[in-house]
Amino acid sequence: MAAASSTHSLLRPEEQDFLDGLIRKHQGQPGMLLAILEAIQERQPNHYLQPEVLEYLAARTGIPGSQIYSVVTFYALFNLRPQGEHSVCICRGTACHTRGSRTLLERVKLQLGLQDGDDDGSADKVTATTADKKFTLRTVACFGQCALAPVVEVDHNILSHVNERALEREIDHLRENRDEAN
Amino acid sequence: MRRIDDLSSFHAAREAGLAKLMPNVPRIAVGMGTCGTGNGAEAVYHAFADQIQGRGLGYKLVRTGCFGACSEEPLVNVRLPGKPLVVLHRVQASDVTAILDDIAAGRIPAELALCKIEEWDHITSHVQYGCDYREIPLWNEIPFFQGQKKLVLRHCGLISPLDIEEYIAVGGYEALYKVLIDSDPERVIEQIKLAKLRGRGGAGYLTGLKWEMMRKAQSGQKYLICNADEGDPGAYMNRNEIESDPHSLIEGMTIGGFVTGATEGILYVRAEYPLAVHRLQQAIEQAEGCGLLGENILGRGFSFKLSMVEGAGAFVCGEETALIRSLEGKAGRPTPRPPYPAQKGLYGKPTNINNVETWYNVAPIVIRGANWFQETGSAKSPGTKVFSLVGKVQRTGLVEMPLGTPLKTFVYDVGGGVAPGRSVKSVQTGGPSGGCIPQDMFDTPVDYETLAQLGSIMGSGGMVVMDEDNCMVDVARFFVEFTHSESCGKCVPCRSGLDQSLRILNKFTRGQATEADLVTLDEISRMIRDMSLCGLGQTAPNPVLTTIRHFRNEFEDHLRAKRCRAGVCEDLALSPCENSCPLHMNIPRFLELLKEDRTEDAFLSVILDNPLPASTGRVCQHPCDNRCRRAGVDDAVNMRDVHRFIADSAFADDALYARAMARLLAVRKAATGKKVAIIGAGPTGLACAYYLSLLGHEAVIYESNAAAGGMLRYALPDYRLPKDTLDREIGIIEGAGVKFVFNTVVGRDVMLNDLAGEYDAVFLSIGTWKESWVYLPGTELTGVIPALPFLEAVAKQQPVTVGRKVTVIGGGNAAIDSARTALRLGAEVTILYRRERKDMPAIPEETEAAEAEGAKIVFLAAPHRIVGDAEGRVKAIEAVKTRLGEYDSSGRRRPVPTGEVIRFACDTVVLAVGETVDLDFVKASGLKLQESGTMLEVDRYSLETSRKNFYAGGDLITGASNVSNAMGYGKKAARNIDQRLMAEKRWSQLWPDFEYAQSAPHHPSESGRHHVREVDAAVRAKTFHEATLGLTPVEAMEETCRCLRCDVRNGD
Repeated sequence: MAAASSTHSLLRPEEQDFLDGLIRKHQGQPGMLLAILEAIQERQPNHYLQPEVLEYLAARTGIPGSQIYSVVTFYALFNLRPQGEHSVCICRGTACHTRGSRTLLERVKLQLGLQDGDDDGSADKVTATTADKKFTLRTVACFGQCALAPVVEVDHNILSHVNERALEREIDHLRENRDEAN
Repeated sequence: MRRIDDLSSFHAAREAGLAKLMPNVPRIAVGMGTCGTGNGAEAVYHAFADQIQGRGLGYKLVRTGCFGACSEEPLVNVRLPGKPLVVLHRVQASDVTAILDDIAAGRIPAELALCKIEEWDHITSHVQYGCDYREIPLWNEIPFFQGQKKLVLRHCGLISPLDIEEYIAVGGYEALYKVLIDSDPERVIEQIKLAKLRGRGGAGYLTGLKWEMMRKAQSGQKYLICNADEGDPGAYMNRNEIESDPHSLIEGMTIGGFVTGATEGILYVRAEYPLAVHRLQQAIEQAEGCGLLGENILGRGFSFKLSMVEGAGAFVCGEETALIRSLEGKAGRPTPRPPYPAQKGLYGKPTNINNVETWYNVAPIVIRGANWFQETGSAKSPGTKVFSLVGKVQRTGLVEMPLGTPLKTFVYDVGGGVAPGRSVKSVQTGGPSGGCIPQDMFDTPVDYETLAQLGSIMGSGGMVVMDEDNCMVDVARFFVEFTHSESCGKCVPCRSGLDQSLRILNKFTRGQATEADLVTLDEISRMIRDMSLCGLGQTAPNPVLTTIRHFRNEFEDHLRAKRCRAGVCEDLALSPCENSCPLHMNIPRFLELLKEDRTEDAFLSVILDNPLPASTGRVCQHPCDNRCRRAGVDDAVNMRDVHRFIADSAFADDALYARAMARLLAVRKAATGKKVAIIGAGPTGLACAYYLSLLGHEAVIYESNAAAGGMLRYALPDYRLPKDTLDREIGIIEGAGVKFVFNTVVGRDVMLNDLAGEYDAVFLSIGTWKESWVYLPGTELTGVIPALPFLEAVAKQQPVTVGRKVTVIGGGNAAIDSARTALRLGAEVTILYRRERKDMPAIPEETEAAEAEGAKIVFLAAPHRIVGDAEGRVKAIEAVKTRLGEYDSSGRRRPVPTGEVIRFACDTVVLAVGETVDLDFVKASGLKLQESGTMLEVDRYSLETSRKNFYAGGDLITGASNVSNAMGYGKKAARNIDQRLMAEKRWSQLWPDFEYAQSAPHHPSESGRHHVREVDAAVRAKTFHEATLGLTPVEAMEETCRCLRCDVRNGD
C-alpha cells in the first residue's frame, strides 16, 4: 500500500469524520478492527471496502496495512469489490444442501447469466456480480434457518422453503421493478 | 428503568414483570425469532397490533422468541386471565380476525391450537397459568415435545426477550443476586464441578475445571468470552437461545465473571445473526440501566463490563485460540496450546471461553444445585443438550433432550421420520467436524463418548437427517469442501491434506476414482486427523472417515459401477429420472422425441431401453416420480404413462411398428457364436435374453410354463395388463432373435450341469413363486388360499371358486391384485392390514382403485385365527386390533396387539403376506447362498455366482421385488455376460445416435400433471377388461412439455 499520508486527500472530509468517529468509539477495545471494518462496509452504498479507506484506517490507527489486508481477505464477510444493487444469498448449509440448494444455486447462476468463470471460488462457494452491477449472487455457509430449508436471502429478506420457480419469480420481480424504475 | 440495588427494588421489578406476564387482560405473544419471521410472523404481529388498536381491545401484545417447534411457525401464544397458555400454530395474518373474535368471546380458537401449558417450570421459578381446555393436549403430550426437558430453553418463546422485568419475574438474576450475596466464589465453582457441566460447544471439557484454572491465574485483568460464532452449518440453537432469552446469557457470564475474577466479558456473535445481535445489544443496555451489569452490580461492589463483537464469517474462529486472535484484530489463525487461554489468552491475559449454551446452564445450577442437575442425563454427561433437528424429518425444530437419549427418539418420535415412502439413511451430527451415523445404529445414546466411538462428535448439536435421496459420498465431499475453504492455511496437514482429499472426492463424484484413491483418501484423512494443529483440522476428516466406515458400499458404487444411487452426483447420471430407473431408460430422450412428434423414433428409443414398454408402462412402481425435479415446482412428469402411450401408439400402427423393428434389427450385432442359457422367462430373463440376442449371442430361455412373461402373465390380472399387450411385447423379444424352450423345468427336465456343458454362460432368473405362509390357527381350513396360486389360476382361466365374502390378508401388490380379482369374481372383499395406509407396500393408485371398486380396507388389524364350521370350511376370521408401537428397523412403527378382537364373517381367506423363491431349487443348485440361506449370493457388480460363468439376477438375489427392478438385473447381467464372453466393452455400441433438441425449455408448460384416465369404478369392477385407458395424445404431448430437461447441462 502507498504511504498513508498521500491518500488523505482521496477521502471527502465527511468520510474522514465518519472514520475518525468510528476509530474513537472502538479504540482500545477487543474486536476493534472487525467492528470498524463492518461499520464501514455497511455504510458504503456498494457494500465494499475501498483501498483508500483501508489506507486511511491504517494511518490513523497505526495498524499495519498488511494486517488490515490480511483481516479483510481472511473473513468471508468483507468485500473488496463493489456489490450489486440487489443481493441474492443462497444458504449452502447442510440442511439446505440436503434439500436441494445446489440446484437452486445452479438455476440462479443460469438465470442471471453468471458463468462459472465469474465467481471467485470453487463451484459451491460463490461471490459473483452481474456485469450490469444489478445483482450479486453469493453463498453463505449457513444462515441458521435450517428448519426452513432451503433458504435464500434476497435483499436481506429470508425466503423459506424455496423452490426453483418461486426464486425465479422473485428475481424476475426485482428485475421488472428495476426496468420500471429506469 | 429504575436501578435495582436492594431486595425491595428487586421484588418490585419482579412484581412488575409478573403483571406483564400474567396480566388481567388477554395476552397474545407472537413468536418472532428468525424462524417465525421467516414464516410470516411479522405480518401476523402487525395484524394483531392493528386490530387490537382499531377495535379498542386493550389486550397485551408482545413479541417473544421461539418455542422450538420451528416447522409449526408462526407460533402465537394466547392466554386468557386465569387460564392455561395456549400455543397456536401455523397462524396466518388472515386468521387474526377470527382469533380476536374468539378471545373477545372468552374462547380459545381450538382448531389452531397445537398444545397448552398449564404450569411451567422456569427452573429458577415456577409459573401456574391455570387449568382448562380438556380438548387441547398438554405441551409435553404432543409428539414433538414428548420427552423433551427444557432447561436451557426454559424461557424461550414464553417471555419477551426485550423485557428485563419479565425475565426477573420468572426468576431471572436471582442466581446472580444469590452469588453476590453469598460471596463465596469457590463454592460456586465447586457446584459447577460437582454438576459435571461439560462444554456444550462440542469438545465437552469440564466447565468447572476451566473456571478453577482461571480463578487461580494471577492477573489484574482477566477476560471472559462467550463463543457465539455458531458456524456449524446445520446448527442454529445458539441463535435461538440468544434471540429468545438474551438475559440468561448475560446473567450466566456475570456470575462467571464474579467467580473467576474477570471484570470484562466479550460476546463474539456471528454477523449472520442480525436479530440475535440486536436483541443482545438491547438486553445489555437494559441490564446496565438497572444496575445488573456494569459498575457496582446490585450494589454489591462487583463490576463487570460486557461488550459484543460481530464475527465476520470464519468457521475457524469457533476454535478458541483463533477467536482470541480475531478479537485482537488479526486473521483468525489458531495457535498451539499450551499455553492455554486460562494462562495466556486475549492480549496475553488469562481468558476463559465458553459456548453460549454452557452459560445458560449456570443460573439453574446455582439455584437448584449440582445434585438436581445430575438427575438429568447420563452419569458422565449430566444435563440436557439442545439439538437442531433438521434435514429430511417431517417435524423440524429445536429439541432439548437429556443427554443419553437414543438417536431414534430424535428421528422418529420427535421428528416423525421422513416423508411417507422414503426411508431414513443416516443422521449427520456435529457438522463439518462430525460424521454420518447409519440408520441401523439409531439405538445409540447421544452423548459425548458414544458419538465419538462411532467416529462422529456431538459438536454444537446439529442433527441433519438424510434419506435415500442423499448421497453419502456427496455429503463427505460437501463437508470437505467446506473445511477446505475454511482452513486457515497455517498448518500443512490441514491445508494441503484437505485439498488432496477434495480432489479425490471430486474424482469419486465424477466417476473417475480408482481403488487406489479410496485407500489414499483413507490414509490422508487419518494423517490430517492425527497431525493438524487445531480442532478444525483434527476433526475435518471425520465426515470422510465415517462415511467410508459406515457407507463403504456407496464409495464402491461410485468407483466400480460409476453409479450414484441417490442421483446426486450429476456426472454419473443422465438425469435424476434415468438414474432412478432400474432399467436406466433415457427418459428425457423419449419425451423429447415424442414432443417433436417423432413417434417412431420415440418407440425405437423406448424399446432399445426396455423391451416391455407397454407392460412396464402399466405396472411399474415408477420410482422416477420420486426424483423428478418438476416435483419441486408442482408434480412430477408422468413418465410412465408417456412410455405406455408411445408403446400403445406403435402397436396400433403396424407400418410404424414394422419400420421401428427393422431399425432395431439393424442395431443387432453380427453372430458371435456364443450361447447363453437363461432360466426363467419372467421379466428378468426376458430382458437379459433380449440384450444378449441384440449383442449377437444365441440366447435360449428355459421356462417351466407354456408361455413367456412369468409374473406378468401369471400373477398380474388382465385388468391391469391385458395379455394381448404382453404378447405384442414378447413378439419384440422374439423378433430380436431370442429362442424359447417351454414346459421345461430345470433340475427335473434338464440339469444345470448339462447346461454348463452346452452353453458359454448360464443366467438364473426364476421368480418368487412360493407364497409365504402365516402360522395362525385355521389355515388348514377349506377356503384358505394363497394369493399367487389364486392369481395364477385366474390368469390361466382355470376354474376358481371364491365364496361370497372374501378376506385378504396383506398390504402388498399381490394383496390388492387378489382383492380386485375377487371383486371381479363377484365377491365382497375386505382387506386386513396390520399397519397404517402409508406403510402399505402396494402402489397407492392400485389401493385407491381397489377401494373405489368397493373393497374395504381395515388398517391396524392383525389376523388372529380363522374360524371354521363343522365341515371344516372357513366361516369367519378374527383379527386383533393393533396400535402403533416403537419404530422398527424399517423406520415404520411396529404394530402392537391391543387385545381387542374383531371378527369378520367370510367364506374365503386369501393369504398375501409375501413370496419367496423356491428354496429347493436354490439349495439343489449347489451355488453359494446369502447368509439368510434363502437367496443366491452374487458379486454386486458382475452378478456372477460362486460358480464361474453362472450368473443370477432378479428375485433370486433380492427376494420378491417388482417388474422394473427385475428387468434392471436382466439388463445388467446381459452387459456383464457380454463383456466376459467377448473380453471387451461393447454395450454402448447398441445405441444409435438420435438427433433431438438439446436445450432446456425457457418456459416449461404450466400445465399440471395428467393422470391416466380410469374406467368408471362401477363398470370396471365387473369385468377383467383393462381398468385404465392411458393418456390421450394431447395429454401425452403436454406431459412431454412439462419436462425440465435435466439432461441438458449448463453451458452445453
